[in-house]
Amino acid sequence: MDLFLQFLTNGLVIGAFYALSALGLTLIFGLMRVVNFAHGEIYMLGGVTGWFFTSYLGLNFFVGLALVTACIAVLGWLVDRFLIERVRGQGEEPGILLTIGLSIFLANFTLLVVGPAPLKVAGAVSEAPIFIGPIVITKLRLTAVLVTIALIMAAHLLIQKTRLGQAMRATFQDSMAANLAGIRTKQVYAATFALGCTLAALSGMLLASIYSAQASIGGLVSLKSFVVVILGGMGSFAGAIVGGLLLGVAEAMWGGYVATGMVDIIGFVLVILILLFRPQGIFASHAERA
Amino acid sequence: MNIESNTLLTALAAAVLLPFVVHDQYLLHLAIMALFYAVLASSLNLVVGYVGEFSLGHTAFLGVGAYTAALLSAKLGFPMWITIPVAGATSAAFGYLIGAITLRLQGPYFVIVTLSFAEVLRLVANNWIGLTNGPMGLAGISQDGIADKRAFFYIVLGIAVLSFYLCYRFVYSNSGRGAVAVRENRYVAQSIGVNPFESAMQAFVLGAFLAGLAGGFYAHYISFVGPEVFQFAFMASMIIMVLIGGKGTLVGPLIGAVIVTLLEEYLREVQQLRLTLFGLIVMAIVLFLPNGLMSLIPRRNESRNVDLVGAAPVKEGSL
Repeated sequence: MDLFLQFLTNGLVIGAFYALSALGLTLIFGLMRVVNFAHGEIYMLGGVTGWFFTSYLGLNFFVGLALVTACIAVLGWLVDRFLIERVRGQGEEPGILLTIGLSIFLANFTLLVVGPAPLKVAGAVSEAPIFIGPIVITKLRLTAVLVTIALIMAAHLLIQKTRLGQAMRATFQDSMAANLAGIRTKQVYAATFALGCTLAALSGMLLASIYSAQASIGGLVSLKSFVVVILGGMGSFAGAIVGGLLLGVAEAMWGGYVATGMVDIIGFVLVILILLFRPQGIFASHAERA
Repeated sequence: MNIESNTLLTALAAAVLLPFVVHDQYLLHLAIMALFYAVLASSLNLVVGYVGEFSLGHTAFLGVGAYTAALLSAKLGFPMWITIPVAGATSAAFGYLIGAITLRLQGPYFVIVTLSFAEVLRLVANNWIGLTNGPMGLAGISQDGIADKRAFFYIVLGIAVLSFYLCYRFVYSNSGRGAVAVRENRYVAQSIGVNPFESAMQAFVLGAFLAGLAGGFYAHYISFVGPEVFQFAFMASMIIMVLIGGKGTLVGPLIGAVIVTLLEEYLREVQQLRLTLFGLIVMAIVLFLPNGLMSLIPRRNESRNVDLVGAAPVKEGSL
């Protein structure tokens, strides 16, 4: 039983990062209808730039977090304005191809610049263990999870309470009407894409403070983020969170009780099963939009 | 048609004579790889270009074919002329199975689920050590005493010709036209009695069969198969070939295969730079040349295959 609780905790910790990354994708995939295959590479860039600011330059973790946010937001903005914008309204395929090209470029360019070695982000606190009943969790993990939760809440408030969030929701409900009402929808698209990318990158940086970041991890992360979004239902904010936690726990249980070798297979098997039996996602009553 | 078929026959004749002119083993190897990729690109093009659904799982069929041939040869000692056709058939069976599951989905769901299948197979190949030898792969696959690259060249040329012929037959069959009709307008196609699932399935299974043949050939030619065959890098190469040449055309993927194989070889020294450039090329093609190089060639009989339904744009108000 103690072991079960430990696995559960480990699963929830990883799941929180999955959720944060998937939230970014659900904005891009669920709302903007852009199938962003470079999502995992943006996540990876979050880890790598995070490593650059904290471990390489020796800046404070939270300063690094802010700098990563700024860098990736600008990158996301540029990608939308110079790439995605040009194929908007042409269906899904050009976007898919464009982001596949982008993902190949980003992964290999990063590999050229920083090499294949795993890069560890210097964490905010020490790795001292904390004992909560039978469960052990390091201080570092706990902090990272708390930051993740704070970021998820901040994203939620941004979308629900701010002018930008209002403009986003209006644009994705009816972009023509939003445009007529004076909303600069092009800017809203770019901002949404930038926000989605930033959430992925922050998730990548936080996880890289516990494990490490590698130039080659993007593909797997993209797939897992899609798994989570499909699990939770397209465009559903709550779904992405529950889906992320579910995938994290499923992987931890599989790794703990069955086999450590094939943990990654869980996500793929889940996505195949879900698309077979419940393509609208487990948690959506119908193809719900946030 | 005449001009096109003359060009094709000339190209074929040139290909047949190539080993007599080119004695350099390295160049011959490049020619073999170009033909191998031509088969792969053509088979992917059936799904991407004609059905119009984006499969990212095509390496699944390449890998299944390669492993089938490798296992039959290494563990049971079958000769190449049995293992390669069986590899094609096994892949086709997998194609039927995966198609039955995935072809009900469209757009991003189709992309993700096909990619998932390829990943599952890669993980199985990596972890089922008893059968596949895991990450070490299966080495020393018999080449049936063929020591000459020239023989391999003619084997792969044979497969490529067969592949082109089967793709040609499919494209101009009722199923092929049906697939294009569905691609252009699903609802209109259905209204005139096209079954979208059936025509897509035929393209999918044929594509899997051809990729399996290519995989079987690859296993014997390289004489090694590892989980890398399922890797996304293979998939990226195939997509780029189809795109550069022009998807939805019969000749486009062949041109793309030759260009990309040469590019890949000459950039081999700088592996990461090569893929970095690849990424940029893909983006540039999508933005500036969405229909590939083939769209630059003016054609007399305006591609019956490409714009079957979309040829005459419906004027506003005419419906």
